[in-house]
Amino acid sequence: MANKKFLPPGLTYLADNIISRNNLLGASRGAGAKWAKGLNLPKESETIFFAGCGYQYTGELNSLMSLIRKIDKGGISTEMTMNLANFQKKLGLDVGGLYSKVMSRGGDAEAQPLRDAVNVLKKLGLEFGYLAEDEPCCGGLLHYIGMQKEFNAHSREVYGSLKPRGVKRIISIIPSCTNTLRNLIPGSIGGEGLEVKHFTEVVLENIGSIEMRFPRKVRLAYHDPCQLARNLGLVDEPRQILGAIENLELVEPEWTTGDCTTCCGGGGGFEAVFPELSEILATNRARELVEAGVDIIVTQCPGCVMQLKSGVKELNAKGIEVLDLAQIVATAMGV
Amino acid sequence: MAGFTDYKKTIMDAAHNDRIRLALSRAIASYRSNRNTALEKFPHTIKMAEEVLEMKVRTIGDMEGLAQEAIEAIESNKGHGYIARTAEDALKIIGDLVGKDKLIVKGKSMTSEEIELRQHLEKMGNEVFETDLGEYIIQQLDSKPMHILSPAIHVPKEDVAELFSKITGKEMPPEDIENMVATARELLRDKFFKADIGISGANVVAAETGTLFMIENEGNIRLSTGAPPVHIALVGMEKLVPTLGDAYKVAEVTWRYANYTVPSYVSMVSGPSKTGDIEKVITYGAHGPKEFHVIFLDDGRTELAKDPVLRQALYCLRCGGCLYECPVFAVTAGHFGDKYFTGIGAVWAAKVSGDPEKAASLAYTCLTCGRCKVKCPMEIDVPQMIIELRRSLLEDDDTEKPA
Repeated sequence: MANKKFLPPGLTYLADNIISRNNLLGASRGAGAKWAKGLNLPKESETIFFAGCGYQYTGELNSLMSLIRKIDKGGISTEMTMNLANFQKKLGLDVGGLYSKVMSRGGDAEAQPLRDAVNVLKKLGLEFGYLAEDEPCCGGLLHYIGMQKEFNAHSREVYGSLKPRGVKRIISIIPSCTNTLRNLIPGSIGGEGLEVKHFTEVVLENIGSIEMRFPRKVRLAYHDPCQLARNLGLVDEPRQILGAIENLELVEPEWTTGDCTTCCGGGGGFEAVFPELSEILATNRARELVEAGVDIIVTQCPGCVMQLKSGVKELNAKGIEVLDLAQIVATAMGV
Repeated sequence: MAGFTDYKKTIMDAAHNDRIRLALSRAIASYRSNRNTALEKFPHTIKMAEEVLEMKVRTIGDMEGLAQEAIEAIESNKGHGYIARTAEDALKIIGDLVGKDKLIVKGKSMTSEEIELRQHLEKMGNEVFETDLGEYIIQQLDSKPMHILSPAIHVPKEDVAELFSKITGKEMPPEDIENMVATARELLRDKFFKADIGISGANVVAAETGTLFMIENEGNIRLSTGAPPVHIALVGMEKLVPTLGDAYKVAEVTWRYANYTVPSYVSMVSGPSKTGDIEKVITYGAHGPKEFHVIFLDDGRTELAKDPVLRQALYCLRCGGCLYECPVFAVTAGHFGDKYFTGIGAVWAAKVSGDPEKAASLAYTCLTCGRCKVKCPMEIDVPQMIIELRRSLLEDDDTEKPA
């Protein structure tokens, strides 16, 4: 168990989840795979769709964050020395109970971007599988919070579980997982990396002349996730896709777009250390986008989606939707 | 740990302070627009920044050699040069030069904040005036600077008016900024000429000639370093570059990225004031200082230069641009910082101030979002440094035995 003097407790908790349960939220394995029911994705395939923890556990993440925020505002101090058990006790956190509540309200609406992404990829004629309950957590957070030794060990496990299955290519939808699988893991363990592409790249390569039309005229702002714009350099690609969709008018905030995008305040575990501050930053970013005068904010990261939704709500900006690019494309393709 | 809890409370108090947010949102908007104008007007700056970075990468490992070269040049100009290994060494050298019961005028210097020079000299029984307007406001408010170039960035005009009304006993309307500036000028005017000693920093130093470059707009540095009979400069060793040409490039890149097309003043000082006008006899202390002392501060910098990742912190020109790009700084100002601010401030806290707990607090406040890197003329990869710093803090901790 990670119990490090300088590691803030919220991060200790997330790190322990990755190491002991192979997902960020400490949910039971397989719980995250329910969204794919009925999509008939094979487990064995040279190309796999990597769903990542974010959208698969968004419900859990929302519940956990709202609880952490309430406690943070309540002024209970969080000392840096607390280990997992203390942290949970102090938060009064019953993770099992919390998550079964999420599940019982049938709440996998948050996983809609995953279903939409899969349907879009199918429409483009691609063949791929999905590892479901065998999908590992990429472990990127371990690297970002400074637990490099643990990240190195986890990286060997991740590639060690993918390569023997004959996986050769990965289509990944979460920016952070994409960067981890593509760059950080090969950098950590050496050797040749798998071919890892982000959903956006795959869509743009295969889109050809497929007609895309959004059902109504809307003004939309694209929020570049930090990881996608600054670590993976995917700035023009999502805009090209959006530009090919009829009825969409793309507006950009002044200054804070592309590789100068403003962080949503939910990066790298920050939200678990400074939950209230993270909320303030989310509202600030949402304000920049809302002020551009839009109906829809579209982005590509479950963390950004969660943060921006909270910001839009805080601003009382009624009627503004926050969606993943996959949802826009799926709607425009009619899949 | 109590340290983190207190720090978090400070951060959150700042984040809930509407005046900080108001002052910063005004500053950020004007910075972005001015910076763009400056870079559009002088597009060669971008190429020049690349040359400076290449030079920094090449020379940062040899700060010691450059300091020796600069000291030799300064001595041959009849000034005095020193290397201070630690903050204590620097305070001792400067304290011995100053003594007590002196009147001192000071230009703004982050390096003097780093070693808490003003507080030290005051404790020794001297009267010290900060002469940069922002720094003067901060000194009078008994606050700490919240931005490296605009120390009073978090203080809105309403608070300045209130402060000046109190000092002068005359009511000052917050709209009348001109009046506030005139008041500061009046309050400080005679101090420059009565002062025994002037203290400054430097933006960059050319080792080959021992020349200090000081960039400013107010004119307070010219007066502080020109009027008193003694000029003492405290300079971080990372400010040393080989040649005058290099130093000029650093200066231009610094002011341009600090959002100025050109600053009002750049002073170049290489030695004490002198004249040979009477029978060609060189005599020191004509109209400027008779004595000129330069203290080069190491304080962990030569050690830091050995770290392949964290050494990037030494490339920093202190243009302050990154601060305007940090989403956390936008709501907390310099409360997200120690002696230096934001993510890069965490590296200084760890390696220069040697305070791992403070460094950890700052390191985990950085979003690692990387926008500062995009805007940095030296392309300093703050996320990379922060992740490396976190790693080293946790792994150093691993090797500790339980008590």
